[in-house]
Amino acid sequence: MTTTRQHIIEISFPSEFGYEVIAREAIATFARCVGFDRDRIDDLKTAVSEACINAIEHGNKKVHGLTIDIVGVYDGNMLQIDIADQGIQQYQVAGAPATIEEKIAGKAPARGMGLLLMTQLADEAHFLPDTNGTRGNRFRLIWRERVETLEPEH
Amino acid sequence: MLEDELTVSIRINEKVAIIDLIGDVTTFAEEKINNAYQEVTKAGAQHILLNFRQNDYINSAGIAILIGIVTEVNRHNQKLAFSGLSQHFQKIFRMVGLAQYADIYQDDQEALEAINNAAAA
Repeated sequence: MTTTRQHIIEISFPSEFGYEVIAREAIATFARCVGFDRDRIDDLKTAVSEACINAIEHGNKKVHGLTIDIVGVYDGNMLQIDIADQGIQQYQVAGAPATIEEKIAGKAPARGMGLLLMTQLADEAHFLPDTNGTRGNRFRLIWRERVETLEPEH
Repeated sequence: MLEDELTVSIRINEKVAIIDLIGDVTTFAEEKINNAYQEVTKAGAQHILLNFRQNDYINSAGIAILIGIVTEVNRHNQKLAFSGLSQHFQKIFRMVGLAQYADIYQDDQEALEAINNAAAA
């Protein structure tokens, strides 16, 4: 039996716009090191960045002096990334996001596509329940290892 | 920090106003892209090409900027096209529905040929 060593990365950065760029590049480098391909790294960069921006803007309400904490774990089968804020505001997205038709017609704000992107780009994207009493919001992104299906030989 | 991530420049080729975008399309790009759009619109542009060559990153705030451009293009009865989209950008544009509001070309040369030929016909 073989065991796969867990790879872990932890990042903590100031809760200010712009720092999500550093976080996304660090996570992208981590993903590259554990063998992710270019397409998935592009997906991951966009999704991680969206989660960080939500944490800065909504979870921490852009309050200076706070931090965003990221923990990434790769176990050989999946890459799991948790993005946590300090919970100045509890936020959960409810209901379906506005369509682009509604946005272009001016019936909904142009912004607000972040959750849609995260759910489409990651294999899983969801908030975690507050089980440790930290009050902060925690958002989890997961990419599973792709299993290549081979054509049967004839 | 890290705010100047996008370079925006304008070129005119026959009937087409080309807005070249080099860098990341994020919330920091809003003023630059909107200013470029307003400048070519004031100059009377009817065909606008957003040329995304060399861009490697876009987020939802960047998409919101482009949705705003689509809204303005519709309001001014202009035609919008995109070129130079990376595979990732094309995927994102399809996901959010942006691809249905503009013609998409491989690069600016292909776009200019198609738009100028159609405009001349």
